[in-house]
Amino acid sequence: MSTQSNSAGSTAGAFVSTLALGSVSAALYLLLYLHEEKLETIANLIRQGHKSYVVVPIGIALIFSFIHGAFTGRFWDLLGLKARK
Amino acid sequence: MESIQFIDLTFSSTFILFLVGFVGGMVSGFIGSGGAFVLTPAMMTMGVPAIVAVASNMAHKFPKALVGAYKRNKYGQVDIKLGVVMGIFAEIGVLIGKNVMVNIRTAFGPTGTNLYVSFVFVIVLAIVGGIVLRDGLKEQQGNADTKDKPPHKLPPLAQWVRRLHIPGTMIHFKSIDAKVSFLVLAPLGMATGMLAATIAVGGFIGVPAMMYFIGLPALMASATELVIAFVMGMGGSILYAMEGAVDIRLSMIILAGSLFGIQIGAIGTTYVKDYVVKFVMAAIMLLVLVSRFFYIPGYLSQLGKIAPIDEGTIRLLNGIGEGTLGFALLFGAVMILQALYRGISEHRREQSAASAAVSATGLLAADARPLSPLGRFGCFLVASDNSDFSAAAVREALGMAQKCKARIHVMSLVASGLEYGGLGNPVLKEELSLAQTHLDGISQQAKDRGIDCETHVIHGQIVDQEILSTAQRFNTDLIVMGRRGRRGLARMMLGHATARVIGKSPCNVLVVPRTAHIEGRHIVLATDGSRHADRAVMTAGQLAHQCQTPITVVSVIDHEATSEQRIRAEQVVGRAVDYLKGQNITCEGTVLTGRPDGEIIDMVNRKNADLIVVGSHGLTGLERILVGSTTERILNGTTTAVFVVKGG
Repeated sequence: MSTQSNSAGSTAGAFVSTLALGSVSAALYLLLYLHEEKLETIANLIRQGHKSYVVVPIGIALIFSFIHGAFTGRFWDLLGLKARK
Repeated sequence: MESIQFIDLTFSSTFILFLVGFVGGMVSGFIGSGGAFVLTPAMMTMGVPAIVAVASNMAHKFPKALVGAYKRNKYGQVDIKLGVVMGIFAEIGVLIGKNVMVNIRTAFGPTGTNLYVSFVFVIVLAIVGGIVLRDGLKEQQGNADTKDKPPHKLPPLAQWVRRLHIPGTMIHFKSIDAKVSFLVLAPLGMATGMLAATIAVGGFIGVPAMMYFIGLPALMASATELVIAFVMGMGGSILYAMEGAVDIRLSMIILAGSLFGIQIGAIGTTYVKDYVVKFVMAAIMLLVLVSRFFYIPGYLSQLGKIAPIDEGTIRLLNGIGEGTLGFALLFGAVMILQALYRGISEHRREQSAASAAVSATGLLAADARPLSPLGRFGCFLVASDNSDFSAAAVREALGMAQKCKARIHVMSLVASGLEYGGLGNPVLKEELSLAQTHLDGISQQAKDRGIDCETHVIHGQIVDQEILSTAQRFNTDLIVMGRRGRRGLARMMLGHATARVIGKSPCNVLVVPRTAHIEGRHIVLATDGSRHADRAVMTAGQLAHQCQTPITVVSVIDHEATSEQRIRAEQVVGRAVDYLKGQNITCEGTVLTGRPDGEIIDMVNRKNADLIVVGSHGLTGLERILVGSTTERILNGTTTAVFVVKGG
C-alpha cells in the first residue's frame, strides 16, 4: 500500500515539476516571439561594431537550453516513453 | 563582406523549422551523432545563408554539450584535461574554419559559402555514410566479428602515438594513464574544429580520432567529445555571433523541436539492433548527400565557374534537392518511429508474459512470508556502478545478506539521454555489456556465499529515481548504496542521489562510505524520541541481535536546552535502553549536549563503532534545504556506515 501511495506521490511531483518547467519554457518562447525584432536589431548592432551585444544570443542559448532541456527530459518520461530496461 | 540577411519568420516557416528541429533531434538521438548534418542543409534549403545556418546550429548545440558533459562526468566518463586541450586546438580550428568561410563570402558572396559548405557536406557524408553502411552490412551478415573482438584492444595507431616521445611536448592523461604529445593532439583538434566551423558537425572527426589515435575507449571518447563540443561550440558561436551571423531565433526554434526529438531517438536505439541504427544513419546521410549534390551545379553556374545553366533548370535541380532532403527527413522520422513502436510493443508483450510467470511463482512465495511489524530483512537492493564508492556497499550488502539469509538484487545504472551525442547506440551497448559483466562478477560472489542474487542493468537518466523505482518493483526491504563525496554548497544546490533516495525511499537505506567496514563491533543509535526514532530503536535491536553487537543509545540536546528538555531526553534514552535490554542486548545510553551530528560522530569515534542507526524524517526538496537534515549531516561527516530507518 505504501509503495502505491509513494509512487502516486512521485508521479504527482513529476507532473508538477514538468508543468512548472514547461510553463517557464513556454514563457521564454513567448518573450522570444514578442522581442523578435529587437534580436535582429541586436545582430545589426553587433555587425556595426557593438561587439558586447554578443552576450545576448549566447546567454539566450544557455538559458533556453537548460530550461527547455529539463522540461523535455521529463516530458516523455511522464508520458511513459522510457528506454528499454 | 556582403551583408548578412536573416530570413523572415512566418507561422509556416517557424512550424517547418520546429519540425525540422524535431526530426533532426530524433535522428541525432537515434544515430548518436550531431543532427547538424540534417539541420544545416535543411536551413539552407529554407533560404538561410550557409554562414547563418552553420552559426545558428552551433549556438543551439553548445549548451546541450555542456549539460551532457556535466552529466557524464558524474559517471567518471569524461577526461576533462584531454577535452579541454583538444577543445583549445579545436577552437583554433574553428577560427581558421570561420575565417575561410568569411573570406569565401567576401570573395564570392553567399553563393560561394553555399557551394563550399555543400561541397564539404558531399565529401564528408560520402566517406562517413559509406563507412557506416559497410559496418551495418557486416554486422547484419554475421556479428561474430564484434563478439570475438577482444575488448579494449589498443589500436595500432594509438600504440604508436603512445610510444612517440617528443621532449617538452608530452602531456599526461589520467584516463589512459599515458603521455601523449600535444603535437599529435593539435592537428586532430584543429581538424575537428575546422569541420565544426564548416558544417557544424565536429564529432565525425573528434570521436574516432580519440579512439584510434589516442586509444580512448568509445564510451570515454564520446563523453570527452562533449567537452570539446562545448569548448569549441561556445567559442565558435561567439566568433560567429561577433560577425552578426547567429540568428538566435532560428537556433531556439530548432532547439525547441530538437530537444523533444532527441529523447525519442535515444530511447528508440534501445529497442532496435545495432545494424538497423547504422542502416538508418547511412540512408539519411546518403540522401542528404544526394540532396546537396543537386544544388552544386546551380551554385557553380551562378559563380560563372561552368557554362551558364538556365533558371528553369536550376529551379528544377533545386526542387529535386529540396524533395530529396524532405524525403530524407520523412524517411528518418518514419523509420525511427516505426522501430520505436515495434520495439515497445514487443517489449510490452515480453514483459507481460514475464510478469504473468512471476505472479504464478515468485510472488506467491513472497506472500507466504510472515508479517513483521519491525520490518523485514528478506530482500536487499544494492546499487553498484563499479566504482570504489560502490564496492564497499556491495561488500557490506553481501555480508549482511549472508547473515540475514536475504535475497539480493544488484542494479547498475547505464546513463542514457541527451548526453549520448557522440557515438550513440554502439557506445550504449558497450556500456550495457560492461555493466552486465560487472554485475555477473557480483552475482558469482553472491552465489559462492550461498546468497540468492539477481542482477539488473537499468537504463535511465536520474540515478535516485531509477534506484527507487527498482526498489519498488522488487518490493525490497533495504537499499544499500555507496556515497560520493560531494559536500557543502554543491551538495545543497545540486542535490545528492543518496540524500534523495533516503528522502523518498519506501524502505530502509544503508549508506556505506568507501572505507567503512561493518564487523559487528558496536552500534551507535541516535534517537530524539520521535516515532521515526522508535522504529530506529527496534531495527537497531534486530541488527544487534543478529550480529551480537553492543549498542550505545544517544540523544543530543543543544546548549540552550531547558532542564525539562534534558529530563525528556533522558527519558527517551532510558526507554530505548530498557527496550533493548529486554531483548537481551548489551546496551548503554547517554544524553549529550551540542550539535547533534558532531556529537553523534564523536561518540562513534570514541566507541570505535562500525554502524550508526538513525531514523529519517524523510524531508525532501525545499523543505530539506530550509530545515536541513541531521541524517544528511551525519552522512557527510562520517566514514562509518549509516543505517537509515524509514518511517512507514
